[in-house]
Amino acid sequence: MTCEFLKACSADPMKFLGEWFVLLPALVLLMAAGAAVVMRNLIHAALCLTLSFIALGIVFIALGAEFVGFVQLLVYVGAVAMVIVFAILLTKPERLTKSVSAFSGLGPAGGAAVGFVVLAALLGFIFTSPLAKKPLPTPASAPVADIGQALMGDYVVALIAIGVLLTAALVGAAVIAMEDKP
Amino acid sequence: MTLQILLAISAILFAFGLAATLSRSNAIMILIGIELMLGAANLNFVAFWRFSENPAAMTGVLFAIFSIAVAAAEAAVGLAIIILVHRRIKSVEADDASNLKG
Repeated sequence: MTCEFLKACSADPMKFLGEWFVLLPALVLLMAAGAAVVMRNLIHAALCLTLSFIALGIVFIALGAEFVGFVQLLVYVGAVAMVIVFAILLTKPERLTKSVSAFSGLGPAGGAAVGFVVLAALLGFIFTSPLAKKPLPTPASAPVADIGQALMGDYVVALIAIGVLLTAALVGAAVIAMEDKP
Repeated sequence: MTLQILLAISAILFAFGLAATLSRSNAIMILIGIELMLGAANLNFVAFWRFSENPAAMTGVLFAIFSIAVAAAEAAVGLAIIILVHRRIKSVEADDASNLKG
């Protein structure tokens, strides 16, 4: 019974759990992202960011893009979050306990104001657009085999370009962070 | 469930990232804000793919995968630059890296 339920869920998660399958992780995503923005302690902010990455991956899976969801979990939670934590630990561990001014530039009020204006403009466009009122179409899915075929077929140039970009970026990052020779 | 809800969630996430990038002083927090904005863009790609006329083409999914790869490269280079700046000026505060400021 459980197996059948899981099979049906993977075929169309929304039918069984309703909109909450998407909305619940989305709520966690927004709360974790908001916490990451306002946290004074860098480690806490990085952990909240990791939680928001996990929630975003679950949202992707719930929307039917399983491969993107698992890539999100592997790349962001597995790699990017770890790199951020390493960078925090390599730079200024003593700052973690000391209370310092966490804001600069526009300050908390200025940043919040700009964010609010941009959010209001975006929401205005979103809720007046006729495009956004479409109902949910039939369940969509992106099978991994089809993604592989597409990447090796129509998108092979982009795949090679992204491979070159990643190699160059990671070699460049290693060179930049290398100790200077005396 | 309509496309509007997902786009609104993505817009709120983008606003959080923008506010963090503009107001926080620590360079790592600025990078965290940029990552949040990239996540919002990825959510938009997937949402538009889910509600598209022809989801079998998988355009949004493939775009999101490429976007995640670019974001990973950006995070690696950004954090390497932060570590280099910390080695030079012993600080990761964005305001302290002002040697070229007139």
